[in-house]
Amino acid sequence: MRKAIALFCFFSLVLCLGAFRADAAGKEIKIGVIYPLTGPAASTGQVLLEGVKLAADIINNKYNLNMPLAKTEGLPNLGGAKIVIVSGDHQAKPDVGMAEAERLITQENVVALIGAYHSAVTATASQAAERYGIPFVNGDSTSPTLTERGFQWFFRTTPSDQLFAENFFQFLNDVKKKKRVETDPVAIFNENTLFGSDTTKFVEKFAKQYGYKVAGLVSYPAKSTQLTSEIQRLKGFNGRVVLQTSYVADAILSVKTFKELNFAPDAVLGNDAGHIDPEFVKSLGKDANYILSREVWALDLGAKKPMLKTVAEMFEKRTGKPMDGSSSRAFTAMIVLADAINRAGSTDPAKIRKALLETNLKADQLIMPWDGVKFDQKTHQNVLGKGIIVQVQGEKYHTVWPFDLATKDVVWPFPKWDKR
Amino acid sequence: MKKGLCLFFVFVALLIVFPLFFRNPFPRHLLIMIMMYAVMSIGWNIIGGYGGQVSFGNAAFFGVGAYASAVLLTKAGLSPWTGMAAGCVASLVLAVVVGYPCFRLKGHYFAIATIAIGEIMMGLFMVWDFVGAAVGIYLPILPQSFRNFEFHATKLPYYYIMLAMFLFAIGVAFLVERSRLGYYLRAIKDDPDGARSVGINIRKYKLYAFCLSAVLTSICGTFYAQYVLYIDPPSTFGLMISIDLCIISLIGGLGKLFGPVIGSFVFIPLVELTRVYLGSEGQGIDLMLYSLIMIAVAILRPQGLFGLFARGGR
Amino acid sequence: MEIFSQTVVSGLLIGFLYALIAVGLTMIFGVMDIVNFAHGDYLMLAMYLAYWSFALLGIDPLYSLPAVTLALFVLGIATYYLLIKKIINAPMLSQIFVTFGLLIFLRGLAQFLWKADYRAVPHGVLSGSLQIHGVYIGIPQLAAAAGAVVCNGLIFLFLRKTRAGAALEAVSEDKEAARLMGINSDRMFALAWGIGIASVGVAGALLSSFYYVFPEVGGNFGLIAFVVVALGGFGSIAGAFIAGIAVGLVEVMAGYLLAPSIKFVVVLGLYLVVVLARPQGLLGKA
Repeated sequence: MRKAIALFCFFSLVLCLGAFRADAAGKEIKIGVIYPLTGPAASTGQVLLEGVKLAADIINNKYNLNMPLAKTEGLPNLGGAKIVIVSGDHQAKPDVGMAEAERLITQENVVALIGAYHSAVTATASQAAERYGIPFVNGDSTSPTLTERGFQWFFRTTPSDQLFAENFFQFLNDVKKKKRVETDPVAIFNENTLFGSDTTKFVEKFAKQYGYKVAGLVSYPAKSTQLTSEIQRLKGFNGRVVLQTSYVADAILSVKTFKELNFAPDAVLGNDAGHIDPEFVKSLGKDANYILSREVWALDLGAKKPMLKTVAEMFEKRTGKPMDGSSSRAFTAMIVLADAINRAGSTDPAKIRKALLETNLKADQLIMPWDGVKFDQKTHQNVLGKGIIVQVQGEKYHTVWPFDLATKDVVWPFPKWDKR
Repeated sequence: MKKGLCLFFVFVALLIVFPLFFRNPFPRHLLIMIMMYAVMSIGWNIIGGYGGQVSFGNAAFFGVGAYASAVLLTKAGLSPWTGMAAGCVASLVLAVVVGYPCFRLKGHYFAIATIAIGEIMMGLFMVWDFVGAAVGIYLPILPQSFRNFEFHATKLPYYYIMLAMFLFAIGVAFLVERSRLGYYLRAIKDDPDGARSVGINIRKYKLYAFCLSAVLTSICGTFYAQYVLYIDPPSTFGLMISIDLCIISLIGGLGKLFGPVIGSFVFIPLVELTRVYLGSEGQGIDLMLYSLIMIAVAILRPQGLFGLFARGGR
Repeated sequence: MEIFSQTVVSGLLIGFLYALIAVGLTMIFGVMDIVNFAHGDYLMLAMYLAYWSFALLGIDPLYSLPAVTLALFVLGIATYYLLIKKIINAPMLSQIFVTFGLLIFLRGLAQFLWKADYRAVPHGVLSGSLQIHGVYIGIPQLAAAAGAVVCNGLIFLFLRKTRAGAALEAVSEDKEAARLMGINSDRMFALAWGIGIASVGVAGALLSSFYYVFPEVGGNFGLIAFVVVALGGFGSIAGAFIAGIAVGLVEVMAGYLLAPSIKFVVVLGLYLVVVLARPQGLLGKA
């Protein structure tokens, strides 16, 4: 009996810890930030959170940068109120993401939410925001379905996989013109979870739209113990270009298998994720050379965009890690949200929502390779987003497309394995 | 026994008044999750604890329950309550199709077969376009009502629905324990040859147990889909869900009526605590902690924590 | 035709490796009737050992193989004395939970120590590929397959031709009779664990020169090892060898002929069909 009471007390304690977190009042604007801070994607989650924190620092203090709210302290239209970040951890689990969003909204009284990296978690967390009528700005989940749900309170700054898929064909067309080479037909190679299958749907759609023939499609289960038979099939399609969507483990394995089977199409064009993971080049070494990948951001864009370089240096100084596509997008989401709150001049959710709809940021105000930030009035997808294409040359990533932001010329075709 | 009964009623009363004292969604969410896992673990315990057949594949029923109602709602506009019934039927079919042949298998063979079945279900739902394949299903946000099984302003209805399911599960387990089924199951577990020699149809009773297990897990699947409003294969068919059910039943006490309840009330808060207080530096520590508890209980106290709490130790 | 032979060759290569991973599992089961659910996770430890000796000491996985094997041998024996010995006469439920708990523990440990990153050995001594009649054979894969054949052969000979092997067989036949014959069954069990785990040490070291390591890497290989063992018959060394090759072939064929995304579904389905139709496996004792 006594032990039953002890158990009950232990349990109540847990609840109380969750229930009574001190609330600090004052001239502060609380923003809830939900990322995978523990669990398998914890390292990415930390980097994302640091990106948001850096943006908050730039907003709250004076910096000589050409971006919204940098030159002032806090939000001028709200009497210099400061942004305070309250973080939540979703462990890459959809139900935890939802619970954390609710906790931040109802217990921490945040005025808006940012998150959540994994598309599946963004789906449930933004549903909570939708129910409570709180703006949710997403900077890093690319599943196209997210903005097709007709939500009132959900905004996305990053381009979705749909646009990235279109970028593939714009790039191929540009290369065809510039290098006078054939880039048709294409073969599609993807992993079969959400990311891979979503992308493939759009790659097929845009292939048709841009007049490319799809020679064949192979979709494989992620984390296979081997990819030999898949790549044999792929080889059999005789596509000039392989469009691949993989996470890092499979991306590494597939390049090794390409080499093993002496498979060298004219180009291997990866879709972000695995092909831009630091481990990818580290473990493949020179075999990673000449692989192309769609990317959202690259450090060498700084050559053409000086502000990007300054911000990236600040980030590296703060965290000891280089800035990347994740942290830069999280950073941008925070800037966009803060800009809207400032223009709204209020923490009223409806006014923030209205201000978000009126967002109009220019390319030179951003550290992204985008044409700006402007939300579609119906879907709330940023319509000015854009991807870039990078290529591994000398075991380093270089921007090769769009050509006006490129720092190196694209190497085409992919050299044969025995001639390199 | 009377004392136990009193304790039980106090416990239920506390659960009923709980939302009055905890108005924030987070503690309510936590309790909903505790009760949901308790229901599923009670289901697992019927086959695993009483019947002694370790299943690492019960997530299959959770997934079937979640998908059945979600598909019927999105494709045919049927109420999730109808979907819940359909999910139960589908889970029963699956339980019979899987259970009938597999109960010939002894111990480890059966355990591995259930892992295989769980993974096969996950693999198939990952590629099955009709149910959204890897993208999963977004459930529509409908006006809140009991019929629609969606409540947006407060978690209170979810809480009481779950509480009702929880009491239902305890009732089922109580009846199983008292019935011939429970008696036979224990006999089969302790001495299968003896049970067979006195004419107990082992396979039949294991199948009954498996079916009950499937139904209890399946209704939780439907509840989860309506509660979270987004499902995909990893979050409904994941192997970790099945494993959690085993751990909960094991630490609470295998084959005990209140074992899974105690297990769930200890394990789920523990998971929350480690998540909140360990942070990212501690990744992996939570897994090590659970596994050490699991190993320690299995070696030192195979009867679980049940005796510890309810009888003041043995 | 070329594609067909290439597929067969790839299936064989991976199949030999599956056989090597499975042989330790089947041996432990054969001797003491315990299924080691954590088997694949010992493979993960071996791969990390090989990876770190490359990353920190610059020793290629091929050269660190003996050390890794020895380390895993010791680890296997330690596991036996610290953990398995306590449950040898426990109910099967406890046995399942203990080795399953071990699986979760090892994954948690790896996540804690080495984070969830994917790591691979770049440019080992073994790299590149051979071309024979239009069929490409990766050298690391070939080495792994060769290592698997040698290692399986050695275990087979050990059991058949040495006194220790005979003693192991005796213990697995009848513990009581073996005790009367003066065989210390405790030491035999420890030996079985040592050898069983050491064989995944060999597999892990060979595998690490062409496959990446991450904390859950044991999952897929472990599950396949179960399929192989069940197919070959729990406890049968020769059965595991044949079944390993069969599973490797089925996997690549399913990937090639049907759809890659369901190849594991086919492999796992094969397990179900086999254990249901012939519960003792191909070469198992009934």
